[in-house]
Amino acid sequence: MTLAIETRALTKRYDRHTALDGMDLAVETGSVFGMIGPNGAGKTTAMRLLLDIIRPTSGGATVLGRSPISGGAALRREIGFLPGELLLEGRVTGRSLLKHYAEISGPVAAGRIDELAERLGLDLSRHVRKLSKGNKQKLGLVQAFMHEPKLLVLDEPTSGLDPLVQQEFLSMVREAQHNGQTVFLSSHVLSEIQNAADKVAVLRNGVIVKVGDVASLRASAVRRVFVDFADASAASIQSTLAALPNLDHLTVTDGDVVQVTGTVEGHIDALVKAIAPFHVVDLRVEEQDLESSVIDLYSKEANK
Amino acid sequence: MSQSPRTILPLTRRDLADSWRGLLGWTAGVTGAIFLYVPLYSSFSGENAGFDEIISSLPEGLASTLGFEDLSSGAGYVQATYLGLIGFVLFTIAATLWSSAAIAGDEESGSLELTLAHGVSRVQVMAERSLGVILRLVWLATVSTLLILALNDSSGIALEPINVIGGCLTLLALGVLAASFGLAVGAITGRRAYASAAAAGISLVGYVLNSLGNQSADVEWLHTLSPYHWAFGNSPLSNGADAGALGLLFGISALALVIGGFVFTRRDVSA
Repeated sequence: MTLAIETRALTKRYDRHTALDGMDLAVETGSVFGMIGPNGAGKTTAMRLLLDIIRPTSGGATVLGRSPISGGAALRREIGFLPGELLLEGRVTGRSLLKHYAEISGPVAAGRIDELAERLGLDLSRHVRKLSKGNKQKLGLVQAFMHEPKLLVLDEPTSGLDPLVQQEFLSMVREAQHNGQTVFLSSHVLSEIQNAADKVAVLRNGVIVKVGDVASLRASAVRRVFVDFADASAASIQSTLAALPNLDHLTVTDGDVVQVTGTVEGHIDALVKAIAPFHVVDLRVEEQDLESSVIDLYSKEANK
Repeated sequence: MSQSPRTILPLTRRDLADSWRGLLGWTAGVTGAIFLYVPLYSSFSGENAGFDEIISSLPEGLASTLGFEDLSSGAGYVQATYLGLIGFVLFTIAATLWSSAAIAGDEESGSLELTLAHGVSRVQVMAERSLGVILRLVWLATVSTLLILALNDSSGIALEPINVIGGCLTLLALGVLAASFGLAVGAITGRRAYASAAAAGISLVGYVLNSLGNQSADVEWLHTLSPYHWAFGNSPLSNGADAGALGLLFGISALALVIGGFVFTRRDVSA
């Protein structure tokens, strides 16, 4: 197993706050690795450190086997980077700007830029400053992917993209993985990258609180449940459900149909078994935004 | 692994391609200033023009502050109106705007991050962006030289062509000095406001020290501190460019750029 990215106690402090606090991360070569967390969690800081845009306060990183600082321009030629806040300006066409970036990155195969632009539905003849946010994002994706780098570092790649283009982006990620490229991407909404990533790290306040595959994260996620009962008293249902350890925010509304809502942490098995003796009219389980539910989970644990 | 086809000065070429419209405007400004002032010499100068009388009627100190003591000669006139005043102001403003935008402005807008994420070193960014600014100043100096030479006979200023070149080269040196301070401070701080203050500041301080030094023999020593005086103190349009002054101005500029580049390679770049 080789690692495309390895960080050892990577730390970045500014005057007052710690943006990244001892991050240990291992991203296998050829994998798609996602990093989620709320804004300010340290995702962008981590990526900037890997690209040597900023320097660590302590700890270190190895990217494609080299230090970002000593690897310099030669290392960055093998990386495709999409910044989180993509600001493109200038009275130039998209094609002209991409040609410029091609000159200062790895070699770009002929026709590659047009192929990518066509896939994403990007008009290269338009002036960059007149492009919408979504189209600027597409341009950013093209410049990151066009030289088929060994490593793609993508900060919030799906932001501003409509769902169809997001799908196209996901297929580009899969193709990259198929070619042996490594993809390291971030999002504050896990649902946007859960289909792409093999492994996900959850980042909060500059600390990784959890690393796992998407399925295990989902298993530990918090779900909202809605259950409607007939032919049962609210009191008996209340007493049955209140005993369940992983059911929170329980509300029971009496009526012809007794309506119950709550949140379940982890598996819903216990709930399903507890309600089995009753006449269940309806059962709905909604997955919360997975990232926020995971964050909830770990902030609760931290407060315990 | 296949090697990327390296192209020559990609960042400088990008800068020039992005800025040619603006440069066209500056060229028009320089052209306008020269066409406005230089031809006027023929109508003001000469034995009967009475220009000296106008000057002597000015409040004491004002003429020396503006460098207007010697308006009757062609060299003195072009020095006082264009080289030492309007041209100096135009070069200072252009150097300030361009140098503060090159690194600091790009950093504040967030574009520098993406450039640095590519296969370029910080030294390369600093060197190529600086070259882009200096080349644009060289263009303005070249335009100034050619226009003054073109008007040399018709306006009656009657300058030695080599001195016109020397004078404009000296003006360029002052522009490069301002630009270097702006580039260096921008590279060190990443703040456009600081870069602008440094570029405009070095020009303004030089001008003020020169003007104060003109007022009396007691404060004439201020001239030694003034880049403006180093450049223009020996009247390059009459006597030719002062090689020592040029060496000093370009040397300080180079030093500022090296210091700026040194810090730039060692600091965080923020969006």
